Amino acid sequence: MYGWIWRHLPGNAGVKALISLALIVAVVYVLFQYVFPWAEPLLPFNDVTVDNQ
Amino acid sequence: MSVRVVVRTFSELCITAGALIVLFVVYVLFWTGVKADHVMDDQIDLLQERWAREPVTPTASPGAAEAEPVRPARYEAGKPFAIMYIPRLGFTWNKPVLENTATKTLKKGLGHYADTARLGQKGNFAVAGHRRTYGDPFKDFPRLRRGDAVVLTDGTTWFTYRIDKGPYKTVPSDVEVIDPVPRKSGYTRSGRYLTLTTCDPEWGHSHRLIVWAHLDSTQPVEAGKPAALRR
Repeated sequence: MYGWIWRHLPGNAGVKALISLALIVAVVYVLFQYVFPWAEPLLPFNDVTVDNQ
Repeated sequence: MSVRVVVRTFSELCITAGALIVLFVVYVLFWTGVKADHVMDDQIDLLQERWAREPVTPTASPGAAEAEPVRPARYEAGKPFAIMYIPRLGFTWNKPVLENTATKTLKKGLGHYADTARLGQKGNFAVAGHRRTYGDPFKDFPRLRRGDAVVLTDGTTWFTYRIDKGPYKTVPSDVEVIDPVPRKSGYTRSGRYLTLTTCDPEWGHSHRLIVWAHLDSTQPVEAGKPAALRR
């Protein structure tokens, strides 16, 4: 999987490393900005009131 | 497809899943707190700006007693309307109180149960807050004791509540803890009460912790901070 991505990135090793870093940052950003805020309320930490059973 | 490719892909998937879980833990433990501190400060700034714009009507001046300002019947949903201070939870502990207890609202501060009394009014002013995540506002909730002050301000008046009972552990379906006269609190007559609720255990949701307080004193903001907040 990761090997496949690495092989398909353009440029030499340095450029590939830079693009990989950018990809990782993008993935982490999407996770923190969209995926985790959606997933977190499914966990019980939000249940602090006495009326939402 | 060779066995090697299958094994490699499987290991890569495992590593990815592990990394995802670690990132999620970082998000829940750390990042929600960073975000919430920021958002709560913004809410407090919002309140203080609004209060600075509105002229404060002197409530204690003689002769002006009848000139009670006309207040809206309800607070605006999802919007801050007061700041809470609990010296026991830290001298610098202060959180905005917002109307209603929706998940979205509780990310920005403490939530006032929309169906309960208004601040300082007859009945039960009930407020919920996160025990953990989103800035951990009620992390030290079990340290609250009888006699502790819970101070609130709505921009014109300081309200000092004194805790009478708690922390009382109950189940999530026990909605009568936020009744106007909560049965288990020991109060027998109607009065101006305050209820705080949070979850218990810290990271769980099987129980709730409750404290009850009564309105001890009020003073206009021009009179300065109440004694409970002075060092």
